[in-house]
Amino acid sequence: MNTARPVLEMRGIRKSFPGVVALAGVDLTLHAGEVHMLLGENGAGKSTLMKILSGAYRKDRGEIRIHSRVVDITSPRDALDLGIRVIYQELNLVPQLSVAENIFLGAAPILMPGVVDRRRLSTMAKTLLADLGMNLDAGAQLAELSLAQRQMVEIARALRDFESRNTGEAPILVMDEPTSALTAREVDQLFVLIERLVANGVALVYITHRLDEVYRIGKRVTVLRDGANVATKLLAEVTVDELVRLMANRDLSEQYPRRRTVPGADLLTVEGVGRHDVLHDISFTLRAGEVVGVAGLLGAGRSELARVLAGADRADTGRIICKGQPVVLRSPADAIDIGIGLLPEDRKAEGLVAGLTVARNVALPHGRRLSTGGYLRDQVEERFAAPVVGDLRVKATPTQEVRVLSGGNQQKVVLAKWLAGAARIFIFDEPTRGVDVGAKVEIYQLINRLTEEGAAVLMISSDLPELLGMSDRILVMRGGRIQAAFDADQATQQRVLSAAFGLSGVTH
Amino acid sequence: MRARRFGTLIGLLLLCAALWILTPHFLTVSNLLNIVQQTSINAIVAAGMTFVIISAGIDLSVGSIVAWSGVVLGAMLQAGQPAAIAVPAALLAGVGCGLINGLLVSIGRLPPFIATLGMMSVARGAALVFTEGRPVSGFSEGFRWIATGSLGFVPAPVLVMLIVYAIAHFALTRTTFGRYVYAIGGNEEATRLSGVAVRFHKTAVYAVSGLMSAVAAIVLTARLNSAQPIAGMMSELDAIAATVIGGTSLLGGEGSVGGTLIGALIMGVLRNGLNLLGVSSFLQQIVIGVVIVVAVLVDTTLKRHRT
Repeated sequence: MNTARPVLEMRGIRKSFPGVVALAGVDLTLHAGEVHMLLGENGAGKSTLMKILSGAYRKDRGEIRIHSRVVDITSPRDALDLGIRVIYQELNLVPQLSVAENIFLGAAPILMPGVVDRRRLSTMAKTLLADLGMNLDAGAQLAELSLAQRQMVEIARALRDFESRNTGEAPILVMDEPTSALTAREVDQLFVLIERLVANGVALVYITHRLDEVYRIGKRVTVLRDGANVATKLLAEVTVDELVRLMANRDLSEQYPRRRTVPGADLLTVEGVGRHDVLHDISFTLRAGEVVGVAGLLGAGRSELARVLAGADRADTGRIICKGQPVVLRSPADAIDIGIGLLPEDRKAEGLVAGLTVARNVALPHGRRLSTGGYLRDQVEERFAAPVVGDLRVKATPTQEVRVLSGGNQQKVVLAKWLAGAARIFIFDEPTRGVDVGAKVEIYQLINRLTEEGAAVLMISSDLPELLGMSDRILVMRGGRIQAAFDADQATQQRVLSAAFGLSGVTH
Repeated sequence: MRARRFGTLIGLLLLCAALWILTPHFLTVSNLLNIVQQTSINAIVAAGMTFVIISAGIDLSVGSIVAWSGVVLGAMLQAGQPAAIAVPAALLAGVGCGLINGLLVSIGRLPPFIATLGMMSVARGAALVFTEGRPVSGFSEGFRWIATGSLGFVPAPVLVMLIVYAIAHFALTRTTFGRYVYAIGGNEEATRLSGVAVRFHKTAVYAVSGLMSAVAAIVLTARLNSAQPIAGMMSELDAIAATVIGGTSLLGGEGSVGGTLIGALIMGVLRNGLNLLGVSSFLQQIVIGVVIVVAVLVDTTLKRHRT
């Protein structure tokens, strides 16, 4: 291990917000050339700590040393000057510009003031991309790239910026759940890049909820809980079970506690459904008590299928049959009427109204039923929402604004919207993305409860172990079609993946 | 939200206190009634604007709709129609413009700025064509009661304003319609996916704004005893200013008509006070502009510190 002086030392960092202590004296030590995993449940203080490091928040108390010098980070500018780079999930790039232009944004080589030296820009970008081992076309427009490729551009830009300062000291990179939107192959590419970066002396703080990643690339781990340090350990000396216990302070005996039930009547039958370029000839049946998993790569048409079933987009061809009756889903209201509830992939954009209270969000789909002739009092909504919110153990009161809740609790509020109503068919699009370990298990248990009560769940997920662990059947989508279908006992990670990549074409 | 409205109220009280010290003419019953009466027209328009802005839209056509509804009203009254027919016709004229705005925004998917910018020009032009650019004047005493009458010590325009605000407040806080307006402004897609008829409610919001403009036109026409095709010039800006000073976010999803009423009063008090102090109307414009910017600056700064 590195015995040299640490690149970064954060000591006794405290930060409180009105009503909450987010960080109660947290320490973090980072060495050059290490990938340091920062773990903790949602609300444990990981993001707050990183926001203090990047200058987005100011600490109340504590000390930050960089290369042993005490520093005062009071703005994002300060953090940049100190060589701290955060790779954000909402990428800060300009889609209309090329890869090269993005990498050298604000620092392009010039022929004369105001005129960019395009040729040199291009060669510099190519050299940098080659140095980093990134297989990217410097001239490609950013908008044409996949999310994973954009992330690489962002990383390249951060490192270019650092190189141009040329202080000779190790830069500090922070990645906050960089893989949450990536496919397995893209994750591999990212990890190769990360290994190359740390080999060159970059110090990396890596935040994730995926425990497999922790072991794949991490060297040391710091676990936070409720704004305090729980442990800092070498990953070679700690097991997964221990990590989970450290994070949640409870045992999680089973990661995927699926309790299978005997499927009942057909709830929803989809026959040959298509939607111009995105969906072709989709057919399957959802039965009561069943979890049907949907696997596939990004862009395979999974979310598009979810949107058609939820009435958000219209199908051009095919039929949807509910309880023996053909139904036409013209709008989300039609889908809700036949008992379909959608938990969208992007809950902030599609699932919640952040500025409204928990009660109002939960009551939103049920306004007509709750009101008398349009008259609706706050108390009615609160009384309506309170039991479901309590049942799901949402850590919030019905009168709190949703925006202040953590990711896991926000997810539960979206669930509560449908649980409070008469939904029988649940479409879960990436239900556990960005959700901490404890909340994940709660969601799995909820899926069990729903199916035991005779509901059906269509679960779209990019987390293969989860899909294999929780589904009774798995549909694999590719190019807007169902490429393959497996029963749970026949599905393996390899079979599902090869179908997703189109390597085998076994249809049912 | 409540704390912020409190802040605007404190601002209003501080402003009144300052004027009370600076001029003896400010704190008299007749002057205060005068302020409220003068504020009522802007306040009524701003109530409709608040609905639109909470839904994350904007309505630039309110001033022109005031003129258009006003001349429809004036022409009918002058032609000898009773107020019982002319007033509903004026309201219909306003709602009609609002409906067109709403349909352009919800079905036509035009940005609200563009749709209502078009209506701003069309409704103004319609009022000018209809009257050939001349004011329509001379109405019955009965109709003029809307401006000159009073109930106890409350002048009729103030009464109209209070009724409008009571209904608007009820609609925003106690009805599904109000819920949906906030929800649409906060996150339209999530609201749509929750099964809410978003297009219907968006259309309704602009119809409400058109209706409010027509109500304001009725009060204005009665007060001036004349319907002017150039009435309500720039009043969209006053209405937006009152709404924003009152703490409604231009991004949508939050705000209240209570705040807007205070915002409208702040503008009314300010104008009145500056007049009493003998500040020239040129200088007044500068002061009012500064107040709008400072009020919103304070509001957003407070909001930032809260989160």
